Amino acid sequence: MKHFNKAAGKLSAVALSAGALALSCPTYAFASQGGGIQAILPEMSEFIPMLVAFIILWIVLAKFGWPVFDKMLEKRANTIRDDLKNAEEARQESERVLAEYQQQLAEAKVQASKIVADAKKAGEDVKADITAKAQAEAAGMIEKAHAAIEAEKKAAISDLQGSVADLSINVAAKLIGNDLTDDEHRKMIERYVAEAGSFNAK
Amino acid sequence: MPNNRLLAKEEVATYSGMLLDAALEQGGAERVLEVREQLDFVLRTYRGNADLREALGNPAYSPEQRHTLAVNVFDGIDPLAVSVIAVMAERGDLDKLSSTVNAYRNAAEEKLGVAVVDVTTVVALDDHLREVITEKLSADLGKKVVLREHIDASILGGIIMSTNGKRIDASVASELEHARIVLKEENDGGEC
Repeated sequence: MKHFNKAAGKLSAVALSAGALALSCPTYAFASQGGGIQAILPEMSEFIPMLVAFIILWIVLAKFGWPVFDKMLEKRANTIRDDLKNAEEARQESERVLAEYQQQLAEAKVQASKIVADAKKAGEDVKADITAKAQAEAAGMIEKAHAAIEAEKKAAISDLQGSVADLSINVAAKLIGNDLTDDEHRKMIERYVAEAGSFNAK
Repeated sequence: MPNNRLLAKEEVATYSGMLLDAALEQGGAERVLEVREQLDFVLRTYRGNADLREALGNPAYSPEQRHTLAVNVFDGIDPLAVSVIAVMAERGDLDKLSSTVNAYRNAAEEKLGVAVVDVTTVVALDDHLREVITEKLSADLGKKVVLREHIDASILGGIIMSTNGKRIDASVASELEHARIVLKEENDGGEC
């Protein structure tokens, strides 16, 4: 940029010098000359300085202006080329990234589907497990309830029969205690003594 | 050197021997059996009364006080038995009372050549029954038998005979109890 400014400064100085030289030469208006072809042809006295000024201007421009413009244009072209190249690379990178993302997305979709399927399967397994456990527990509870009912039934019957036995024995005891006379008791004692075992029996 | 157990055994033998000799000297076999009866009563009373056991064995009382206490508590009991028990209380040996009574029973039966059998019935025995029972038990035990008769209506009928820790229970109460157990066992094992 600095180089560009310097060249532009030199170019401005040369252009000002050529302009000053052209203005310093005396000139005449075409309208003041005679008519016909002469009206459009320049006077030699005007033409030569203008030519010299033009040549000087051309040389100055060729020497200092065009290289600067060339450099600017080349730089601009390079910039545009680089930008295009970068844009192309960016586009390719974008496409690559996009493809990668699409692949990842596809993989994620597959993985998500797999996770959902696994979760569903796990859910089904848990459901089946819970159902089986619940059924087993229910069966166990029913079995225990049956056993408890049966035990209580047996206990109640046993109690009832025990009570009947107690009642029968108590009635028998009262009958024996009240109804036997002393002589009957003594006969019973004699019979029991005869039937009794031995002190030495094991 | 004798250990404590041997000493205690000797003391028990001394007390029981002293009692037996004194009873024999006073009245022969009949007196021996009377003393035996009284000793059984004293032992039952002593075992059944915790306050009495504590008082007679309390070291806070002097030997003389324990002696006097025993004499007063068992006032009315056979004097021979009371005299020995009072000496045991005085010396703090009443924890050996049970062993002494047992030793006396065994020594008395051995000395007299008899077996004392406790007989429990609902009605009092007559002579015929005494003869039947005595013959039966003499044949069973191989020695002369002396019956100690007890009346207990709770046995309902029949007879219970016991001697030296052995027992023949031929009572109606035990038969009914056996019948009750059999009935309940059959009921427990039966189908509903």
